[in-house]
Amino acid sequence: MIFGIRNWKFSALAALVYLPLCAQQPNQSIPQPREQKNEDPASVERGRAEFKSSCGFCHGNDATGSRAPDLLRSVIVSHDDHGNLLAPVIRNGRPDKGMPSFTTLKDDQIEGIVAFLHHQANAALKSATVPGDYPLSKLLTGNPSAGKAFFYGLGGCSNCHSITGDLKGIAKRYSPLELQQQIVYPAGEKRAISETAVITLKNGEHYEGKIVHKDDFIIGITCQDGWYRSWPLNNVEVSIRDPLAAHRELMGKYTDADIHNLFAYLETLK
Amino acid sequence: MKSASVVLLFAVITLSYAAVDEGLHPENLTKPLSESWPTFNGDYSGKRFSTLSQINQSNVRKLTLAWVMRPQSVAIKSMPLEVNGILYLTTPDNVWATDARSGRIIWHYYRESQGDHIGHRGVGMYKDWLYFETPDCHLIALSAKDGKVRWNIELADPKLGYFATMAPLVIRDHVIVGVSGDVTDIPGFLESVDPESGKVQWRWNTEPAPGESGSETWPQGTDAIAHGGGMTWMTGTYDPQLNQLYWGIGNPNPVLNGDIRKGDNLYTCSIVSLNPDTGKLNWHFQPSPHDTHDWDAVQTPIIFDDSYHGVTRKLLAQASRNGYFFLLDRTTGEHILTAPFIPTNWAKGIDSRGEPVPNPAKEAKPDGVLVSPGSDGATNWLAPSFDPVTKLFYVSARRLWSIFYMTAEGKPEGWAGRDRNLWASSVLEAIDYQTGKIRWTHELGDGEGTAGILTTAGNLLFTADNSDNLLALDPGTGKTLWHVNLGSRMHTAPSTYELDGRQYLLTPAGNVVFAWILPD
Repeated sequence: MIFGIRNWKFSALAALVYLPLCAQQPNQSIPQPREQKNEDPASVERGRAEFKSSCGFCHGNDATGSRAPDLLRSVIVSHDDHGNLLAPVIRNGRPDKGMPSFTTLKDDQIEGIVAFLHHQANAALKSATVPGDYPLSKLLTGNPSAGKAFFYGLGGCSNCHSITGDLKGIAKRYSPLELQQQIVYPAGEKRAISETAVITLKNGEHYEGKIVHKDDFIIGITCQDGWYRSWPLNNVEVSIRDPLAAHRELMGKYTDADIHNLFAYLETLK
Repeated sequence: MKSASVVLLFAVITLSYAAVDEGLHPENLTKPLSESWPTFNGDYSGKRFSTLSQINQSNVRKLTLAWVMRPQSVAIKSMPLEVNGILYLTTPDNVWATDARSGRIIWHYYRESQGDHIGHRGVGMYKDWLYFETPDCHLIALSAKDGKVRWNIELADPKLGYFATMAPLVIRDHVIVGVSGDVTDIPGFLESVDPESGKVQWRWNTEPAPGESGSETWPQGTDAIAHGGGMTWMTGTYDPQLNQLYWGIGNPNPVLNGDIRKGDNLYTCSIVSLNPDTGKLNWHFQPSPHDTHDWDAVQTPIIFDDSYHGVTRKLLAQASRNGYFFLLDRTTGEHILTAPFIPTNWAKGIDSRGEPVPNPAKEAKPDGVLVSPGSDGATNWLAPSFDPVTKLFYVSARRLWSIFYMTAEGKPEGWAGRDRNLWASSVLEAIDYQTGKIRWTHELGDGEGTAGILTTAGNLLFTADNSDNLLALDPGTGKTLWHVNLGSRMHTAPSTYELDGRQYLLTPAGNVVFAWILPD
């Protein structure tokens, strides 16, 4: 449920819903959601091992639940602040729910488990992004030969592109994730190509340049002399060259296999 | 004769009551949209069609600025209410009461809160009170006179990931409130709160309890249904004659990975009809069964009565985030028509219920799949409109292509994946609801549109394009009649009201509110 340009600063922890979801008391004090902090990596790793040996059998080694509940959606984890709620539960257990006590665990072991649980819960919260270092191995599922055939055949890529020209070494210039996206639509910050326009005035004068702005009413271009100029659209003739048009046309035609094959082929251009 | 006297007496009582009451009597919300703008959609129908016609095709080019107001705030995504010459405007944590004649601020309420500040849609009003939801998922009753807090309740625990953005809907003595949530696997609900006491009157959970009808659409013997999402973050519509409340429900969780929630996942991504007095479900229709693309079905379910193939019917129409337009009979929920309004590639077809059948091949995969529309949707919170004169349904649509990646390893939690947008362009579409065909389109530019729509009896359609232009269009043809660059994007919809015999057009853009009027 994302509905706009997001602010990711806040996200609360996951829920365990069989506890009451809210308290409908008028004029109560404002709860303060726990800030999301990156846990100390050493503590997390220590906690991961400790969790696996002490807790994993019931809660799963990744804490997402097994015979005992998923702790990433736990109300106690959501409300915990540096172990203030979790530590007593670990030490004393929850006999009513069949959880034994862990009285032999030392403070630093419990601290590690707490750090690990918060780390795991935070990872779930951050799951709404594709990391920039997304691994090549996940993307490289296509067939390079089929990709090459598409490049020179059905895709029509070679009409505009050349592997010894503009695409030479392209796999070195982009991360695997960026390359896959650039193949389908080469836009974004690193976009090297853009629309250009030739403007013809009523007196026959021509101006040519990169389009800076165009709406239903005004066109503005950076002309070859470096000056920005604009005209009302109802007063000039405009001819636009849009090198991305072919990419847009392909969007509705690609199969996912075409994209994966093309990626596998262009990924060889290092 | 006797009954006529009773009617007259009732009218006198109503008039005298209105004369002494500066607030908003809930009875006034049942009137068609005209001089005031007393609720999120203007009136209960969601049509956003104003009967005001002083500003019309013959004079729209003469519109001039009446005033400008610039609150110290982020971009305005809310619908200001206009009641008795006062505007009530919100952003997250903030409410302003403003003189609708001059734009001058009367009072400002501010309450700092933690929680997702992604946007705010506005307040609801009941008599002298305003109802305001907050980023930390509270509902606050404020005095409309001075912004003082009457009561403050927590709707849901923000530490679990709940937050709130929506504008409450007032129906008689019910304040209907919904909640938001996104990255955590929490269940959604809709609630009715007593406007005087703040006590909860009923709660309807968007997932049925195990064993209840609808629960069979979730895996049995797992906790998936208890973590199924289904938020209620956009204001619904209401039919006073049928006493049915219509609400669009958000997407299921985990968002992009449905492996642990096989089945249709009712009532996520559904349009539901509830009894506003009891919260009991009348019927449901599901635009996106087993959604795996974040396509909430929260878009305004507009209600109107019209002749459909020679028979007068009570209709409900939604242009849904998944790219399909749906027409239903709102008395029973009977499906009438389904038609795509942008090119989509995710459904295998339409089933006997009129619901699209998702193609599993177009669910997110580790190596990426190209899907139209992307998760931001073929449309979103942007208000649609229905003009009963042209009989056209207007939606600000997006052609949006995006690659969906399944990033999760192990048990999926939260989003469990993400899509990355490649290319978007926006287009205003006029849909003939009788056929689902698009009568005309008006290009709004590259990128994702953010502006809603207002239609009026002045034979005008107001919206904004992606280049910050406010547009007045001919609703019959889509032709531009007037435009002006507002300097920032519109993230809400135009609205209109009348004071002192003059019609105002209100157009927030960025964090500035512009009020337009015809010259003296």
